Amino acid sequence: MIHAATFLLSLGGFGLLLLAMQRHQQDWLGRKLPPIQGRALCLSGFAALALAFVAAGIGLGWGYGAVAWFGWLTVAAALAVMANTNRARIMRTVRP
Amino acid sequence: MAWLHTWAGLVPGWVLFLVFLFGTTAFFQQEASRWMRPELGNSAVTVPALDAATAFLAARAPGGASWDISLPSARGGDPITVSWEPIAGSGGEAGRVRLDPTTGREIAARDTLGGWFLYRFHYDLHYMPWWLARYIVCVAALAMLVAILSGIVTHKKIFADFFLLRFGKGQRSWLDAHNVAGVLALPFHLMITYTGLVTLLFTLMPWAISANFPSEGAFYEAAYPPSPKIEASGRAAPLLPLPALLARAGFDARDGMPGYISISHPSDAASVVTIYPGRNRLGGDSRALYLSGVTGELLQAPRGAGPATATYDVMIDLHTGLFAGPVLRWLYFLSGVGGTAMIATGLVLWTVKRRAKLPDPTRPRFGFRLVERLNIGVIAGAPAGIAVYFLANRLLPVGLDHRADWEVNSLFIAWGALFVWTLARPAQRAWIEALAACAIFYALVPIVSALTTARGLIPSLIAHDWVFVGFDLTMLATGAAFAFAARKVASHKPKAVPGRKARELVEATT
Repeated sequence: MIHAATFLLSLGGFGLLLLAMQRHQQDWLGRKLPPIQGRALCLSGFAALALAFVAAGIGLGWGYGAVAWFGWLTVAAALAVMANTNRARIMRTVRP
Repeated sequence: MAWLHTWAGLVPGWVLFLVFLFGTTAFFQQEASRWMRPELGNSAVTVPALDAATAFLAARAPGGASWDISLPSARGGDPITVSWEPIAGSGGEAGRVRLDPTTGREIAARDTLGGWFLYRFHYDLHYMPWWLARYIVCVAALAMLVAILSGIVTHKKIFADFFLLRFGKGQRSWLDAHNVAGVLALPFHLMITYTGLVTLLFTLMPWAISANFPSEGAFYEAAYPPSPKIEASGRAAPLLPLPALLARAGFDARDGMPGYISISHPSDAASVVTIYPGRNRLGGDSRALYLSGVTGELLQAPRGAGPATATYDVMIDLHTGLFAGPVLRWLYFLSGVGGTAMIATGLVLWTVKRRAKLPDPTRPRFGFRLVERLNIGVIAGAPAGIAVYFLANRLLPVGLDHRADWEVNSLFIAWGALFVWTLARPAQRAWIEALAACAIFYALVPIVSALTTARGLIPSLIAHDWVFVGFDLTMLATGAAFAFAARKVASHKPKAVPGRKARELVEATT
């Protein structure tokens, strides 16, 4: 349960961070967002990652939680990269 | 700093690849051992087994000088090993016997080193003295730390390119893959390399001890106080039952058993029971407890660890991951796979980057050929060896002399044979064939296991035996990954770019 929460928060965080980068906005949204929105996405992305750390720390204890958090960060970031690599395929399924 | 990253990564790169590859499998050391000892049951150590172990020792070595009982961790994989030493001059014989952790009966499990060999190889290597291996691994690990830190500086775009992995773009794709494998698990790579150096602390920096203590033994005596020296009284007295002694020391069958129990002059009124806790908590205390075997009272409380020792212990725990439950263990494993991939892609990148620059691609320089050949032979060869190690565990006759050694030898025979084979083939064919061989060997593991034991994939699924199911599925997934890689290499057509244009391209991207 705690593991799932940590993972989902990390995944959401990396999703937001992905969209906060201009080059990826063009790819995923079809337009560049104004800098203020980009910054908001970036901040909320890091906030989600921080929340994931808090969730893991409270749920599993800070030592154990920190290790689990780093592990889930890696998995979540790997999934974000995979999604970005297969963007064309994903876009076709979502918006044919 | 690019040259530093290149050479600190390349020169020890193959040792590092092996350390990471075998170290990654070692996160599942106990699970591999369980799979490699299918005769052992699945349950953890039981109270009847403890009673049986002491009864066995009392029958076999009454009045011995010492009894030792090594208990498997809650993850299983090892039998209970009991051993005994006779009193000097009594004419008795020392011995060692393996007992089933569930029933406590003597077992005849196949002779194997199990997952322990994979673990041990990652820092002691094989076919060479352990101290030499440790020096090699030490130097390689130091270079790894340098390579990681200089890599963060060299690949300065890793954070700007964080989410980028572009396939089908030649050198660019290899660089992307190297960056992604490196940066996604960067905290893990830093942690595992640094704490790995800490595990080799006294090999690497013996001077703190030699400057302050007359001998290494004196240091250990000061850091880890030895057991109280109590002479045998000569009066016979019965030993308390082991479960009762463990309960006195705060252990119970549910919360985890100790790792090791040692009993000196067991049938004497002055017997001392030493209990070493297993390392199954992050930063947990691993100091021994000393109890009177007759009354069960605590003879010597463990001294609290000082800050340096506590820090050291936590770092070792972080490195070994023994405290990790199944979820965290998989995360460790996946991060380890990322580290192995980072090293492999880095090594391949070295050749990809230089191939385009070769003055005459049909007759590459010696250095280039050496790196290319070592890459194929190590990156595709060593994983094949591991698969053959598992196959040998199932196929070698149970009665073979030195069976455990032959399992290990077959790992290196298969790896060596594949290495020689790839040397005789053109590079691209060599990659394809070696990767395909890996795929076949890994796919064979569950098949051979199903044919030679009663604990194949389907019976294990029915029995909800998740360790065996997980092991077999991991083998199949690994085989599939190698098959995919082989297919990718096979379908790869080097672009026919004229020499000069390719050179300009390379220069533009570096």
